[in-house]
Amino acid sequence: MPNYTIFVPRLLTKRENFAPGHRACIGCGEALAVRLACKAMGQNIIVVNATGCMEIVASQLPYTSWRVPWIHTLFENTAAVASGIEAGLKVMMRKRRMATQEINVVAMAGDGGTADIGIQALSGAMERGHDFLYLCFDNEAYMNTGIQRSSATPFGASTTTSPAGKVSIGQFSWKKDMPAIAAAHNIPYVATACPSYPFDLIEKVKKGLKVKGPAYVHILSVCPTGWRCATELTIKIGRLAVETGIFPLYEVENGRYKMSLKPDKLRPVNEYMKLQRRFRHLSEKTIKQIGQRVGEEYGKLLEKAA
Amino acid sequence: MVTLTIDGQRIQAEEGTTLLEAARDHNIYIPTLCVNEAVSPYGACRLCLVEVTKKERQRLVASCLYFVEEGLIVRTDSERIALIRGMIIELLLARCPKAGEVQELAKRLGVRESRFRVEDENNLCVLCALCTRVCQEVVGQSAISLVNPGTDREVAIPFYDNSDACIACGSCAYICPTEAIKLEDVGDTRIITMPNCRLEFKLKQCPKCGTYWAPEKQLEYMIKKANISPKVFDLCPDCRE
Repeated sequence: MPNYTIFVPRLLTKRENFAPGHRACIGCGEALAVRLACKAMGQNIIVVNATGCMEIVASQLPYTSWRVPWIHTLFENTAAVASGIEAGLKVMMRKRRMATQEINVVAMAGDGGTADIGIQALSGAMERGHDFLYLCFDNEAYMNTGIQRSSATPFGASTTTSPAGKVSIGQFSWKKDMPAIAAAHNIPYVATACPSYPFDLIEKVKKGLKVKGPAYVHILSVCPTGWRCATELTIKIGRLAVETGIFPLYEVENGRYKMSLKPDKLRPVNEYMKLQRRFRHLSEKTIKQIGQRVGEEYGKLLEKAA
Repeated sequence: MVTLTIDGQRIQAEEGTTLLEAARDHNIYIPTLCVNEAVSPYGACRLCLVEVTKKERQRLVASCLYFVEEGLIVRTDSERIALIRGMIIELLLARCPKAGEVQELAKRLGVRESRFRVEDENNLCVLCALCTRVCQEVVGQSAISLVNPGTDREVAIPFYDNSDACIACGSCAYICPTEAIKLEDVGDTRIITMPNCRLEFKLKQCPKCGTYWAPEKQLEYMIKKANISPKVFDLCPDCRE
């Protein structure tokens, strides 16, 4: 991906469809990701928002941050509601009840709403081939209810339901590879993104809207509250997650893998983990083990992209 | 606020907005290639032509340059406009047959192929002047400009020689709608490819992690502009404490 630094940010649209003034924590990577995604999506969208941080912080009655049509759904039926809206619009246009126009349906959910509770509705919607974009904002635990572990929590992370202590090292299982599950549905577009790489994220959301059929974008959102890291390090930690190979950026277009960012050499995982207190209990041996696993997974991905 | 009619729809718009902005705010589609809110309107592509009726006098105007007026009646989808747009897009297709954005617009406007002869099938530049406007108005460097009149018109660096003013920010590559300008970092050089030239810039290497992270010329520019110590840029942003 091109490494833009100065002046290019001024070329983005100034219109904010996700208005400031919401109640997200200081340093929230997810609010940033939603804001950037909204810049990419434009006006003609209907947002289907699952329960989660972004619903809680942005829609406290009588206020709202959303300047586009928005509907709140439960954890489990985000993709089902999105596919219903898409099918409804299609039928209304076919029966001439409304003018034919381009309206994009975008579903947004957290990692819990995607990888745990909402996965069967999502799988169904992807299998039926509805024309919609699904954005998963992955902050690696149920943050808004108080940092409970989800299946997207990485190995070794301490959360309130997987606390580190004498008998437990924190999260006991490896992170669920959600983009690979989406890619296995043979949908036209799957990608991973991170708000630390804003232009890449915008590009991927735009691409996801453009394709006919389901598209899935998995966005790593750094959560200083839940990850126990300094609020000013959000962007840096996002970059380190990518550069250590823990969260590689890639896209899958019609089954073809392509790396978005291919560093010459991966940084050691320690650089990423030492900045977060959820990993502070881990011994050097465990970190080495995690590093090895990350290297293996990264190697597998490179093979797919070759 | 002024009230006007676009395609039979009565809409209100702030004074000083263009017809294009007013239409887009109300979900009325007008195709464009050369519009970006970061730079001033220019009216290069003429795809946004609309029919304006004022005091029973009808004429065609570029909606990106025409401001809203009280009582104006605007048509964006008349037969006459469809004919003109079709012709413009056919000419563009003949000029840049491989440009994705042009192909997409053609598809949307129902134009399948061009009846004109293709001269250079690898040409991607539609001469929308977004790159030169960005370089002048946003970056403030004017490193590239449009040169020559008529059919020889093209984007170029001064005297086709070398552009000292360019700071390798890549704004032109980002804004180009047809990817005629490309930016790529290969090893220790940043390469900006334009339709008729190729610029190379040396990248600075981080002594700690070894990645090439920004063009040296750009860092010099930032140091000078913000009047900061050059030491700030010794390490890359990820290695900085």
